[in-house]
Amino acid sequence: MRKFLPSFKLLSGLLNVYGLVFLTFLYMPLGLIVLYSFNANPINMAVWTGFTFDWYATIFGGAAVETTFDAAFTESPERIFEVVKNSFLVAFTAASIATIVGTATAIAIARYNFITKRFYQALLLLPMLIPDIVLGISLLIFFVGIGFELGLMTIIVGHVTFLSSYVFVVVSARLAGMDTTLEQASADLGAGPVTTFRRVTLPQIMPGVVGGFLLAFIISLDDVVITYFIAGVGSQTLPLFILAMMRRGIRPQITALAVLILLFSFVVATVGLLLRNRKP
Amino acid sequence: MKRTITRLAGVASVLLMTTQLASAEGNLSLYNWGDYINPELIDAFSKEYSVDVTLDTYSTNEEMLARIQAGASGYDLVWPSVHMHDIMQKLDLLQPAHPNEMKGWENIDKGAMRSHEDPNGDYCLPYAWGAVGILYNKEQIPELTSWKEFFEYGKEHPGKITMLDDLRETLGVGLIMNGASVNSRDPAEVEKAEAYILEQKPNIAAFRYDVIPLVTSGDIAAGHYYVGGVLNVLQNPDLLGFVIPEEGATMYQEDVCLLKTAPNPDNAKLFMEFLMRPENAAKNSERLTNGVVNTAAVDLLPEELKSNPSINPSPEVRAKLQIFEDLGKDLRIYTRAWDRIKAN
Amino acid sequence: MAFGKTADSRRRQGLVLLLSPVTLLLGVFFLIPLGIMIVYSFLEPGLYGGVEWNWYPYNYGRIIGWPLNDYETFEPIYLSIFLGSVKIALLTVLVSLLICYPAAFWVSRMSEPRKSFVLFLITLPFFANLLVRIYAWLLLLRPSGFINMALESLGLIAQPLDMLFSSFAVIVGMVYIFTPFMFLPIYANVEKLDFSLVRASQDLGAPPVQTFLRVILPLTVPGIAGGSIIVFIPALGNFIVPAFLGGSKVQMTGNLIERSFLQSRDWPFGAALSLLIMGSVVIIVMFQVIRSTRQNRGAA
Repeated sequence: MRKFLPSFKLLSGLLNVYGLVFLTFLYMPLGLIVLYSFNANPINMAVWTGFTFDWYATIFGGAAVETTFDAAFTESPERIFEVVKNSFLVAFTAASIATIVGTATAIAIARYNFITKRFYQALLLLPMLIPDIVLGISLLIFFVGIGFELGLMTIIVGHVTFLSSYVFVVVSARLAGMDTTLEQASADLGAGPVTTFRRVTLPQIMPGVVGGFLLAFIISLDDVVITYFIAGVGSQTLPLFILAMMRRGIRPQITALAVLILLFSFVVATVGLLLRNRKP
Repeated sequence: MKRTITRLAGVASVLLMTTQLASAEGNLSLYNWGDYINPELIDAFSKEYSVDVTLDTYSTNEEMLARIQAGASGYDLVWPSVHMHDIMQKLDLLQPAHPNEMKGWENIDKGAMRSHEDPNGDYCLPYAWGAVGILYNKEQIPELTSWKEFFEYGKEHPGKITMLDDLRETLGVGLIMNGASVNSRDPAEVEKAEAYILEQKPNIAAFRYDVIPLVTSGDIAAGHYYVGGVLNVLQNPDLLGFVIPEEGATMYQEDVCLLKTAPNPDNAKLFMEFLMRPENAAKNSERLTNGVVNTAAVDLLPEELKSNPSINPSPEVRAKLQIFEDLGKDLRIYTRAWDRIKAN
Repeated sequence: MAFGKTADSRRRQGLVLLLSPVTLLLGVFFLIPLGIMIVYSFLEPGLYGGVEWNWYPYNYGRIIGWPLNDYETFEPIYLSIFLGSVKIALLTVLVSLLICYPAAFWVSRMSEPRKSFVLFLITLPFFANLLVRIYAWLLLLRPSGFINMALESLGLIAQPLDMLFSSFAVIVGMVYIFTPFMFLPIYANVEKLDFSLVRASQDLGAPPVQTFLRVILPLTVPGIAGGSIIVFIPALGNFIVPAFLGGSKVQMTGNLIERSFLQSRDWPFGAALSLLIMGSVVIIVMFQVIRSTRQNRGAA
């Protein structure tokens, strides 16, 4: 474009400046949270009074912050550990099931021809398109209606319904870019469909499958709205825990917790995106 | 990649195992308001009876009811407000725990038997009560005594006051300002209350519960809030103030109730009895800065709490406090008024 | 086992095996719940939550504007809340479009590997927890927050600006959350843009503005449409952002739905409102499908 549009030289300079502003817009809020999480001021996080690790320490039960404002109801480390455990349990289970369902469906759509193909494609897009609140509420009504006790199980089931669609999309993209001659060769050489799948198809789509799994994992870990409606006894997840804390007011501990979650999500997302971008 | 997945599976199975281990001992599952019990009490109870106590929280009565009705059947004890206690008893969601036969019942203030359905304490144990007033920042408002001053301050400084995001509490203030009962079923009276709140709405920054940090940091000058805010006032007496407005205010009281579906009713009853011990009731009140329903606990309270006019108001002030009752179908008058307030 | 069966029937068996998990999953936990919700929206609310099994069309009457179930007092409060939500969602789309459109050109001009890296940077915030991102804006927009302090110390303002708890804050928060949704479709479109057409327009002496309006803009319409739709849909049903950044003072349909279920105990009304949102989504998606099919046909 640079070559073709010499008259846009000024414009391209402006565009570069704009790009930096754009990235600043994306990262400044997150950077500020990181900064605030080290601010010793317990009352107004925007006023810097000194550097501290206390907020991180309280999360892990290290230092009991005695003098701080509102320390009376600081959440116990055990409680935080429990909600983190719930979150990981849900995310791992739901993402695993969704990976199986989504991958199977993607293969069916990519490798077979059948009348209801269009229907399935549309059906799989719906859970991603429908606003979260509608999905959450329909599941709530359903679970209550059939007398299914709300808890970790309902959260897992609820998550699988929309996570499968995400895995489907990621794996489908991988399948679309794949050469089918190897599969045909395998079949021609007398390998059964199961062998062909295991030896030929699966290794080739593996980066897509793992990428889909990680995407599903992160989305499940972060889900607030759907979980909010279908959570039950003792099934508080990390986002619900943060939601409850935010409702009661901004406290410095939330900031530290937020930074830890941020770090974790970024690491998983980075691995996922790298895998997805790897060429077949 | 395969190795990663195997390892993750290993981690997950360990997590699953620890979940099962945790449920081996005696259990007690509490479903309470956020910040509404002294965590030390839970620890003490847990140690004394080697019972594993879990605590989940809610932020409105309706949220709690909806979740219990939605089949959240693993909880033992809940903390409904009195009118919700009545509703839950009518809906057959509770079972009698007979706190009135327990040791320590003689200490319970009989004035706190406010439930219509449960006048003798066969079902639930009165827990704490308090007024809903105004928490304010003294650097911005040196003194505040009434709703009138509160709203006038808002008029002069729009965006510096907040009210609760609760239809009955906030419409309740509108009703009080028009001299009506906060349990009025008269659509005309509710309409007047609605008009009053709507008139103030441009000056109200937000309808929120997280008032304490906002007032402390000075982001807002004053907020409609529960008497529990006095805890922060006592920690920061030069900065914060709390007042029960002289026009009157609403009050709340929560009772501890045993759910019909409680999986651990025996532990739950032990916990009720534990709460009734005067030293425990006092320890709890110190943290909640709520009104005490345990007469024996009053003497154990620190002087600053005993003499605090918001926590322990005079009889004249008490007379101006109104408690909510269940309105049944007529709640819709309020819902609609509230939706109109939010829509305009 | 497969003895005597043709390869064809074996393939069909494989297809059934591959499709049954998703059929079961979406059938039981997606389509049936949606069906139940439709049924609920025509039932009478129970006094303390739940439903009474009586035919009750008034939930929809209430949405349209007869709040008293009597079809006499017409007062469309819920319709006006819905239209307000549509307005906020549309503004969110517009602002994110304005922000992302130039950014897409910026990235598309880069060369590898820088391009991949910047794309990665732009996608990354999407993976940060939603609540954490909203919370960040709560800290930024407060009267004593970062933006006000920065502006005050620069001497640009004397009094803190009231930015939090307003439609402005809600729109800013949603734009921030949905930026990758808008950016990626536009970028995918710009990336494939045929710049020879742009050059031709320039060679013919068209001024830059005209080249943009007549050539570039029409060619990027598919990206704009795609991005707008996937931003508009979640924005319309959002209730977390208005609850926090709008201070529950800015009301969107999502908040009404949440309140119907968790506060005012009116499930059928909440179900009806959910269907209103769902209906809007379906109409928009169908519109988009028809538009793109027509375009493809025109191209062919």
